[in-house]
Amino acid sequence: MTATEKLKKIYGERPKRTRELKEEGRKIAGYFCCFVPEEILSAFDLVPFRLQGNPKDPVDQADAFIEPMACPFARSCFNQALKGNYDFLDAFIAPHSCDTIDRLSNIWFHNRPVSFNHLLNVPHMRERGAEEFFRSELNYLVKCLEEWTGKKLVLEKLRETIRLSNKKRALLRNLYELRKKDPPPVSGAEMLEVLVAGMGIPVPEYVNLLTQYVEEVKSREVKSISLRPRLFLWGNAIDDSTFVQLVEHSGTWVVMDDLCTGSRSFWEDVPETSDPMEGLARRYLNVPCPRSNYPRTGHREVDLESRFGYVGAFVSSWKVGGAILYLIRYCDTCELEGPDLKDYLNKKGIPVLMLEDDYSLTTLGQLRTRVQAFVEMITGVV
Amino acid sequence: METKNQTKTTAVKGTLTAGMIRELVRNIYRSAHEAKAQGKKVAYFMVASQYDEIVRAMDIVPIPTENYAGLCAAKRDMERFLLRAEEDGYSQVLCSYARIGLGFDSLRKELGKIPENAPDGGMPEPDMMLGSSAVCDPRFKWYQAAGRYLNVPSYSIDVVAPPVQADLNEVRDYYIRYQTEQFRGLIAFLEEQTGKKLDEDRLWETIKLGDEAWRLWYEIDRLRVAVPCPMPTQDHFSIMVAGHYYCGTQVAVDFYRQLYEEVKSKVEEGQGVIPVEKYRLLYGGGLPPWHTLWIFNYFESFGAVFVIENVYRGYDPVEVPSYVKDPVEYLAWRAFLRFTQRHERARKNSGHPVVERLLQLIDDYKIDGVVFHACRSCRATTVGQIHIKNLLGRYTDIPMMQLVSDMVDLRDYSEAQWKAQIGGFIDALSARSKR
Ligand code: SF4
Ligand code: SF4
Repeated sequence: MTATEKLKKIYGERPKRTRELKEEGRKIAGYFCCFVPEEILSAFDLVPFRLQGNPKDPVDQADAFIEPMACPFARSCFNQALKGNYDFLDAFIAPHSCDTIDRLSNIWFHNRPVSFNHLLNVPHMRERGAEEFFRSELNYLVKCLEEWTGKKLVLEKLRETIRLSNKKRALLRNLYELRKKDPPPVSGAEMLEVLVAGMGIPVPEYVNLLTQYVEEVKSREVKSISLRPRLFLWGNAIDDSTFVQLVEHSGTWVVMDDLCTGSRSFWEDVPETSDPMEGLARRYLNVPCPRSNYPRTGHREVDLESRFGYVGAFVSSWKVGGAILYLIRYCDTCELEGPDLKDYLNKKGIPVLMLEDDYSLTTLGQLRTRVQAFVEMITGVV
Repeated sequence: METKNQTKTTAVKGTLTAGMIRELVRNIYRSAHEAKAQGKKVAYFMVASQYDEIVRAMDIVPIPTENYAGLCAAKRDMERFLLRAEEDGYSQVLCSYARIGLGFDSLRKELGKIPENAPDGGMPEPDMMLGSSAVCDPRFKWYQAAGRYLNVPSYSIDVVAPPVQADLNEVRDYYIRYQTEQFRGLIAFLEEQTGKKLDEDRLWETIKLGDEAWRLWYEIDRLRVAVPCPMPTQDHFSIMVAGHYYCGTQVAVDFYRQLYEEVKSKVEEGQGVIPVEKYRLLYGGGLPPWHTLWIFNYFESFGAVFVIENVYRGYDPVEVPSYVKDPVEYLAWRAFLRFTQRHERARKNSGHPVVERLLQLIDDYKIDGVVFHACRSCRATTVGQIHIKNLLGRYTDIPMMQLVSDMVDLRDYSEAQWKAQIGGFIDALSARSKR
């Protein structure tokens, strides 16, 4: 089997590979979002498993525990847990990413407790002691993990897992680089699947697969086909490729993203500081997520540039002709961020389609109509 | 016009002192306009951010944008602001307080003046915006977003609380250190904006006033254990204005003193909210339905009175160790102690601090039933209610229900449905009392 096939299989059968690892005696640590350092989990020999929902499976049990006005992604995740689909977890670590995840974690701890349950506080601000505070929170997480596993954290091992995760990041950036080509050798949907496949297996295993996969992608013969608009996708937890497929089947390429299942999850390396916890705290605190605050630095233009400058760099380097902002309904931070990002991109001459969706595939028909109209509109532009 | 609206939304109150609140609310916006005219600094401000005393000590006049949204709802004048925000791209399910605030800012910017007939004279343009991460996420994002309409500096602080599982002895120091640093950041910002240094003695004064107001408020609530109940929940939703929008001022202290006296004499005279108190209810949580506060009187028509609530006065007074000599550290300590008040107990019992609080209230206030209010657009105060209800159900068999609407957006409210649900709830209360 090629690495391409293997990754596709892992994605398609998720979490089968994780279950196998569990059967082989590995301990599995489930976590949410982009704020729990996988390096720490790996250093304790835990398999980091990024918790995800299932938009194909209607939320049918969670209502008895969590309100319908909670983030549908979070509800879907918990619904999976209620159905026993996450019964392989040994540890559950929720970062305080947003109100919903914070509330959900307590619901989860009570109703589907696993052997180790932990809430990691993550500052919303980035200055005035935020990094030091987050470092203390990480140290406290380590202490709790030590108590639970009965093992001391070996700093050298942590340095090693940091190096390895950075290697993974480099490989992924490498793949994203390849998507600068036109047409890109990897579609946005395939890229997402490759990313999600890596979110439930040990990092060394993923690094091996990726190394091979990058070579396979490089050797792909890309036929020059008719020019399609190149899109940028922004949002949060898109962990199923169906939506991206829909966008690409409408005659586009999704070539770049800022998703918490995409570039947001791996773009920046962890700096190799002498105290590894320092590098981890800095790196994870600065994940550019709407749930965190960028202090206002000047008038509107300056403010937008300081908040979205990295997006500006993405869209120009990847030669993007349009952007889709995919907001998950009831996610207040995204809903407050969306219009600002739209303004910012529009000023750069990038047309923007802002969609609000409920993380289920029942709305695909409506989404398709809106995406198609958008694509028609921008095909005239690019 | 105004009278008609008032009868539609507001409730008949239990105490006379609560009637003074209307003037205190008017005064918030009037003071802000006056301050602007005199060249004093005016700031958008978030309730319960733990920074009230700092803002007061710096002589900054606060404009509580959330309160303004509630006020618009009570006046049934929210539609134009909500719709405006939605036109500007904000989701229909985004926090409706934020939508009203943003819609208001957007209109004021477009018109170049306060929108016509805005409730209580409207909010003047602030000189700065002070966000915080206390209570919910929208509270710092909202002001960030308001940068679209207002070219004024903003500053947000983190307000942190450890999760219930945390070992407080392990985390206390760094939580308090971070909180202190965050306050210091805010102070530095305010000093820069106002061009004057914070006077520590003045800060101690405002802290004393803040603490005294909250102590009196707590004492008032303790009086409400009396049967019959001397002050109902609809009064609480008014009188919280003093504790939240006047915190750190003499006004709040004087107000609560007067209210205390009134409530006390009602208790002494055995005067209740309603003549025959059949059921004593606990408002278990959620923001009030500002658009329909008369619903409390509707409950009363069945002999059911809301005697206490779990919202707005979120914590009881705490004792900061006397070795804390710095006022900023004091504020950080106070916040930490407030937020962790029931952590130890929760760890030994239900695992949930709010459940502990409710259990205590049910016991102390001889509660017969609990009502929660789910607001469709407020995640922070809504998500988790069902969970709390489920956990409570492990310890008590009193009837509980969750009403669903929104704090301001009427589109989420159905009078018929509420009345039907309330009817069923009253039946359950009656069935239980006959047992
Ligand atoms: S989508 Fe929003 S509400 Fe949902 S988990 Fe992510 S940040 Fe939180
Ligand atoms: S989400 Fe809720 S708590 Fe937060 S500002 Fe809105 S109404 Fe207030």
